[in-house]
Amino acid sequence: MADPRPRVEYLAGFCYPLGGLAAGKPRVLCHGAEIFLSTGRELVYVYDREGRLLIAVYKFPGQVWHLELLALHKVLYVLCAQSGIYCLSLDQTTRSVSRDKEDGGDDQDSDDGQVGEPPVPVIHVDPESCVLPDASLHAFTVLDDALITLALGPTQWKMQLFERPSPGEDPRPRGQIGEVDLSTCTPPAESQGASAAPCFLPVLCCASPPGSRTPLGHSWSSEGVMLEGALFGLLFGADAALLESPVVLCGLPDGQLCCVIIKTLVTSTSALGDPKALVKILHHLEEPVVFIGALRTEPLAEEVEDIHCDCLVALGHHGRTLAIKASWDEAGHLVPELREYSLPGPVLCAACDRSSHVYHSTSTGLCVVDLAQEGSPLDPTESDGAPGSLPPLLYPDNLGICSLVTLCVSSSVPEGGAELLALSAKGRLMICRLDPHDEAPQPSRVTSAKAGQKIKQLLSGIGTVSERVSSLKKAVDQRDKALTCLNEVMNVSCALLSSREGPRPISCTISTTWSRLQLQDVLVATCLLENSSGFSLDRGWALCIQVLRSSQALDLDSAGSAVTYTIPVDQLGPGGRREVTLPLGPGEDGALDLPVTVSCALFYSLREVVGRALTPRDPFKDPPSAECTPIVLPEQDGVCLPLSEHTVDMLQGLRFPSLGVPYTQALGPARDPIHTFLGTCRVPGSQPAGPESLRAKYLPPSVATIKVSAELLRAALGDSHAGVSLGCATLQWLLAENAATDIVKAQALSSVQGVAPDGTDVHLIIREVAVTDLCPAGPVQAVEIQVESSSLANLCRAHHAIVGRLQRLVVEQAARGSSPPDLRLQYLHQMQANHEMLLREVQTLRDRLCTEDEASSCATAQRLLQVYRRLRSPSLLLL
Amino acid sequence: MAHQTPLGSSASHVSCLDLWREKNDQLVRQAKVAQDSSLPLRRQQLAQDALEGLRGLLCSLQGLPATVSVLPLELTVICNFITLRANLARGFTEDLAQDIQQGLERVLETQGQLEARLEHELWGLWDAALRVSSLLPELLPALHHLAGLQAALWLTTNRFGDLTLLLQTLTVSQSSASEDMLLLLKSWRPPTEESDAPLTLQNAQGLRDVLLTAFACRQGQPACPVGLSKLTLWSLPKALSLCPRSLLVQVYTALGTCLRKMGSPQRALLYLVAALKEGSTWGPPLLEASRLYQQLGNIAAEIESLELLVEALSITRIPEAHQLLIEVELLLPRPDPASPLHCGTQSQAKYLLASRCLQTGRAADAAEHYLDLLALLLDGSEPKFSPPPCPPGPCVPELFLEAAAALIQAGRAQDALTVCEELLSRTSFLLPKRPRLWEDARRRTKESPHCSPWVSATHLLQGQAWVQLGAQKEAISEYSRCLELLFRATPKDKEQGNQDASYHLLQTLRRLDRRDEATALWRRLEAQTELPQENTAWSLPLYLETCLGWICPPDRETLREEFQTSGDL
Repeated sequence: MADPRPRVEYLAGFCYPLGGLAAGKPRVLCHGAEIFLSTGRELVYVYDREGRLLIAVYKFPGQVWHLELLALHKVLYVLCAQSGIYCLSLDQTTRSVSRDKEDGGDDQDSDDGQVGEPPVPVIHVDPESCVLPDASLHAFTVLDDALITLALGPTQWKMQLFERPSPGEDPRPRGQIGEVDLSTCTPPAESQGASAAPCFLPVLCCASPPGSRTPLGHSWSSEGVMLEGALFGLLFGADAALLESPVVLCGLPDGQLCCVIIKTLVTSTSALGDPKALVKILHHLEEPVVFIGALRTEPLAEEVEDIHCDCLVALGHHGRTLAIKASWDEAGHLVPELREYSLPGPVLCAACDRSSHVYHSTSTGLCVVDLAQEGSPLDPTESDGAPGSLPPLLYPDNLGICSLVTLCVSSSVPEGGAELLALSAKGRLMICRLDPHDEAPQPSRVTSAKAGQKIKQLLSGIGTVSERVSSLKKAVDQRDKALTCLNEVMNVSCALLSSREGPRPISCTISTTWSRLQLQDVLVATCLLENSSGFSLDRGWALCIQVLRSSQALDLDSAGSAVTYTIPVDQLGPGGRREVTLPLGPGEDGALDLPVTVSCALFYSLREVVGRALTPRDPFKDPPSAECTPIVLPEQDGVCLPLSEHTVDMLQGLRFPSLGVPYTQALGPARDPIHTFLGTCRVPGSQPAGPESLRAKYLPPSVATIKVSAELLRAALGDSHAGVSLGCATLQWLLAENAATDIVKAQALSSVQGVAPDGTDVHLIIREVAVTDLCPAGPVQAVEIQVESSSLANLCRAHHAIVGRLQRLVVEQAARGSSPPDLRLQYLHQMQANHEMLLREVQTLRDRLCTEDEASSCATAQRLLQVYRRLRSPSLLLL
Repeated sequence: MAHQTPLGSSASHVSCLDLWREKNDQLVRQAKVAQDSSLPLRRQQLAQDALEGLRGLLCSLQGLPATVSVLPLELTVICNFITLRANLARGFTEDLAQDIQQGLERVLETQGQLEARLEHELWGLWDAALRVSSLLPELLPALHHLAGLQAALWLTTNRFGDLTLLLQTLTVSQSSASEDMLLLLKSWRPPTEESDAPLTLQNAQGLRDVLLTAFACRQGQPACPVGLSKLTLWSLPKALSLCPRSLLVQVYTALGTCLRKMGSPQRALLYLVAALKEGSTWGPPLLEASRLYQQLGNIAAEIESLELLVEALSITRIPEAHQLLIEVELLLPRPDPASPLHCGTQSQAKYLLASRCLQTGRAADAAEHYLDLLALLLDGSEPKFSPPPCPPGPCVPELFLEAAAALIQAGRAQDALTVCEELLSRTSFLLPKRPRLWEDARRRTKESPHCSPWVSATHLLQGQAWVQLGAQKEAISEYSRCLELLFRATPKDKEQGNQDASYHLLQTLRRLDRRDEATALWRRLEAQTELPQENTAWSLPLYLETCLGWICPPDRETLREEFQTSGDL
């Protein structure tokens, strides 16, 4: 049997419907050769199917939510969001007139994306043609001489009935005939921002009783249906049948399906209609109603003009489908036959054709189901109900056209076939023809091929269900695990955060050493993570080490650059230790800019552990749509617990080859192997070449001194350095964190020659001196720390490191409450004045440097250097 | 935290404030133009545009940090926005409460007291904001205006506890704390606005007066059924001076209802006359007058009132355009259908008139009125005259039946038959599709509820009409059909009135000398009377009550006696 495939004919492209698949606001209507189309934006297009061209484009002040065509009166009603209902006359003459009028100056909207269409001027709709201004309107339908609207009131949906306004009428008071509140439940909470577009709009459908005097001329292009008498009476009661009144069916976004008899919706001005009397709730779909329609499931006895539908259908967004038919029980009494089906969802749009087919579009394809009872005409034993009852199961047939956002069954169809007008999510207008010869119009016999297919479908259904069960089970397990992990994390966090004083249960100590990595000496930091708490650090924990290079520490303008290393802590039980080493430098360029700050923290990534459990990958779930977005954790969401921070300065980075500390390379950092070779081959005694050596030879080294009172130092260093001279003790204290500290201690040195990371030498000399003039009581014993280096930058780094240590020392001592001896204030004042004078001079010299030419700037620079030198050797004393 | 404007930008700041102010004033003027417009569509559009303008202005004001200098304008814009919004929506919505809340938070923001937001509900915010405003007197007028709107909102949502607290705080400096809300409202004196203040749609004093009236009316309304509360009487003179005419009609009618129920019909009549003199809406007082005359037993006057009511409701009145202010009516709940202020639609009034005529024995008038009513209902061309003859009224089939009963009563049997046939033909598809013999039907225990009692009643009336026309055979066939349907109904539905029909059938059979059938029916009826007779107080529908009038109750007893004596034959 030939696989029924629709013949798809592409007509034109329009701009993408606003909101994509979830919006549900685009509309297509068809009248003769004219197609009226809105994509959910501000434009309404009129397209000529035969001429294959765009006839007109109307622009409205807001998003277009609904279109209704009154073919008999040639009137198009348009609901514009936040504005109201507009009424356009489709008279050819008025259109051309208004187009001519606009032709001159009007601009063409360039981004409307009409593909291959001749430019058509956009006609801006006159605000005067708004026949019902009401910002709260969400849906409407037109019935003969009545206009039925649904507005979102403060707490309820409100249905109003008006006399139908016509275009071009004088704006006179529109007679409101009736009004009734629909549901007492609060509408979706999108009323806050009036501009926020609701996800789902209510759906309205007019149902007329048979033989009502006003034929619904627009019955198929719009949403009116004519029901057969029994179904009509059964659904809406004897009153509606007696009054021969049309009924408005209303599907709300909360799933409620209710109806209002139009002829009873008459209210006096003093009071609203009584919802209990006027509104009848038919059903509750428990998901947003996206479509209400009616169809004919039983073949008609004879050819009649009006088709009286015998089955009412309502579709919910997630595919829940309700079908109601009238049937008779054994006693001959009229009873409703009501069936609920579950179709694949989410349903984007749906339509019914003249026979028993319901078409509905999902993101995976256009499906068709047949509500006629299969097999019953020939084989009554197979059907489980009375003849003509609804099928117990529906078998959706996927026609394979994805993501149609709106459908319309074309009214001009050759007998037996179906022709659908559809707009895709990408804005393509197309015709889908279902050939009656391809598709068996009456699937009267269950062929073996078809039965096989059904069985296959059922089996695959069972397969998918079991797959789904296992995937759900997995998700539950995952969630359990995630909860356990979270509990552990909470424990660890509490332990760490609550122990402010004393040793922390989880600590990280950082030390530095020089070591040799790939022909290069590198300063290596070693971080030792110790877990002395009672909890174990499991998967998900990571040790984050941030290395903040104050590469431009001397250049105050720029901030240092930070590098973060993240090392997963894979299982660290109580009492466990983990050592992590990382190179601090020098890098490729041979530079190591000290000081470097190393900070350690523990990080627990919530995303990795919890995030996965919260959004289990379920292949059966709908693609994430607006209303079921997964819980999104930001990329970096997690728990961060700082552990320790350590600053590596110049005093820690110094190496001392003169002391016999292993130092293989004469000039530390990476060198070209050829250079190294040449260096070793150099004739002993010859002059070393290169700028460094030249500078060392011709430039006197820069010097900086700091004086500290001996008393202060002694008090600070305490007993640990007893037995050695104060000078030696001071040097040991300064180099305490250096690898050479033991040798310095052993040799009792008071001066030492070191090498900076970049290879220049740094000389530290400690002397004991006496400072006179400062104290009236006599000379003060002091220690002078002198730093010498041929590299000014290294001098500064070393000086900075020493000052940093002294600062800490002074602060500690001050905390202990030691009082300085009496001072001669006048002397201090004098020194301060000297310094200020020097600083001022520096300022003026620098200013001058900027303006002067090269010759005189040389002299100025010399002077500046002198002043700097004087500033570096202050006669001030740290007490 | 107070944000001080940098000195350098103060010049531009002032001009910005002026611009905003000018925008507010312009929008208020636009709304007032809209209010005066005689074209409703134009009016609606202008008002909607003004609302959008105010929304935009509010957005730009609230996009900047709050400052004391801009706050009076900002609060005024909020007040104007809420006033217009509530007016266009014809009610207060929850998001208006959020607008008020945001205004209060902005006041607190200038004082660095935003933590109040987290701790308290809206009431706590008001407390904090009013305390702040004692330090910033320039905020007071606008804040009182906003408080008025809050009071209106709480009044419509029945949050009287919060409302009392708010009013106590507002009036605390002016009078001693009181629990009585009317007194509180009366003693609340909103500070007068400066002459150069930004324009408002409605000032705080006006709003207070509206609140006072609305509260008095609200208090009076539920008291009505019980009797006049002192408060209602006390507050009426005050309320009346501010009442719009339509509300005045309501108040007078409500007073009339109260006085009628309290047993002072003459005083009630005076108020109803006053209500009618007020003019615009005649429905409620006329309906109330008919009730009053019914109570007095003056049928002629009652019917006349109802006739006037029908006439009054036939005039399509263009609803008065609402003022774009907070009006008293906006703060009152709409009268529900059970309220004495609800007069229904023209067709409902017509039905009331027809049924009262039938009940009081004016059969000819009743028949005419019923025929008018049916014509009104079934003529589809004018949907605006269609009725909701919903509860408490009868459903449409019952209306047909009452019409038929009235026609029979008036001696127009042929017309009655036409009405009945119309009813049956229009509902034919609801009737059982495959009628069975009653023996079959009796075996069934599960019965459909769709075989309505009114279908059998139709046959009963048809039978009665044939009797009137002297066609006994047709009468018998209709009565049998009636019984067939009745016996198919559940025992619960077998009511007293239907038994009367059975007896009537029995009598007819006897007269026709169809003895066997009569005896069979008699036995069945005897069996039925042994069933427990419950629900004797059940009142019959009007159409059956009318039928019952035709069958004299002694008939049954004599029939029974006759049969008991002759039954063995």
